[in-house]
Amino acid sequence: MSTADLFAILRGLPWTVALTLGAFLAGAVLGVPLVAARQSRILPVRFVAMIFIQIVRGIPPILWLFIIFFGLGMSVFPISPFNAAIAGLGLIAAANMAEIYRGALASIHFGQWEASLALNLGRWSTLTDVVAPQAFRVALPSAASYLIGLMKETAVASTIGVSELAFQGNQLSQLTFRGLEVFALVGMFYILLSLPVAWLSRVADSYLQAKVAR
Amino acid sequence: MDGAVLHLGSGKPTMTEDDALAAKGAPSEKGQARKPLIKLDKLSKHYGNHTVLDGIDLEVMPGEVLAIIGPSGSGKSTLLRCINYLEPPDGGHVTIGDISLNAAAAAGRSELSTLRRSVGMVFQSFNLFPHMTVLRNVSLAQERALGRSRKNADERSMQLLSRVGLADKAEQFPGRCSGGQQQRIAIARALALDPDVMLFDEPTSALDPELGLEVLAVMRELAETGMTMIVVTHEMSFAENVSDTVMIMADGKIIEKGPSQDVMRNPQQERTKRFLRAVHDR
Repeated sequence: MSTADLFAILRGLPWTVALTLGAFLAGAVLGVPLVAARQSRILPVRFVAMIFIQIVRGIPPILWLFIIFFGLGMSVFPISPFNAAIAGLGLIAAANMAEIYRGALASIHFGQWEASLALNLGRWSTLTDVVAPQAFRVALPSAASYLIGLMKETAVASTIGVSELAFQGNQLSQLTFRGLEVFALVGMFYILLSLPVAWLSRVADSYLQAKVAR
Repeated sequence: MDGAVLHLGSGKPTMTEDDALAAKGAPSEKGQARKPLIKLDKLSKHYGNHTVLDGIDLEVMPGEVLAIIGPSGSGKSTLLRCINYLEPPDGGHVTIGDISLNAAAAAGRSELSTLRRSVGMVFQSFNLFPHMTVLRNVSLAQERALGRSRKNADERSMQLLSRVGLADKAEQFPGRCSGGQQQRIAIARALALDPDVMLFDEPTSALDPELGLEVLAVMRELAETGMTMIVVTHEMSFAENVSDTVMIMADGKIIEKGPSQDVMRNPQQERTKRFLRAVHDR
């Protein structure tokens, strides 16, 4: 395989990274109001959030992308393949991150809430000073492994024409008829991308663990 | 632990330490002329059909140390937790100083905050914030609830930490401290908000006897400075020797209440005698 072929695959790399980070950021941010709604004291709000999360997580990612790109994109408002992929994967990430946050919140001992009440911290301080930092530490490993999962999931964006890694690999294999080498190389890139995430997560986790020492 | 100079209730408008000590010195004569600091009227609490608190009437004078003892499930902890509305009572009134809450009406957030401002609470399981240093644990609420500057809060925290003998732990995380140390930090944390009354919910039950002693020593010292305290406890010697008043609860009711020596040595009620006998026979 020539260097030109290698560069052809490499051209997909920034798109995969952009899709992964974009969808993850959208999910990490949107997951916060979503988990707040999911835990709301108002029953209808809680119910709607629960249904929303179930629907988003229940439909395969590839179908979401088709719904947004071919469905909404063709009939309601025009949308580029990249934006459609960010929207679809971001939506799914938001639902998943909300569930990760929910598990992390549930792991906080009720004594922490009670102490915050007794100390008159107020809701905002209780959340930002007491609960969120502890929940963050609990959510970190699951969030990191979800990030790796999401990175691999961005390959579905190739089906609506985003020229990321899998798309470039597919193109190249059809040009060269050397599918095995091409896709092995594409696989290598995915593995290489996942390594720093796993490493960062481990470092952050052990740093936080050493700091709190419990 | 050195009990040198005690600056406990500094800056409290409602009661000076001298007042409190005076009240403590002569609870029977001066106490009656004074207004109770805490007053509970017909306080009740139910879980479904189960009655946990059955119309509790209680008055606690400024500077008084009240020990609540009784069998498990008697409602002692619930009573304590109803006083600062950690668990809202469903009937009766809670009055602390000038604030009075009617359990029948829904309490607003600002009312609750005013009520809780005058009440410090110490839990059985300490409930320190594990991700903050000891100093930060004590300072946080001073900044957030009282609006003190970081510098002033830290100064006050260090004062209190040395009072409980733990100034050298200020930069540690709570996880590195023993249970007894953690509970002393929790006491300092509650005192940092200059409460009018301190509630203790079985503060030594999670500790082995030796570590319990260092916590009890801090509490005894606190009692001597004239702090108003309500202590739910199984420590009979604390009830007898440190508290002014002992109250026995069973089945959500007050069985007997009186000066601590009288109740502990010469109980009048059959239920009290039975409970104390069971405790002494262990």
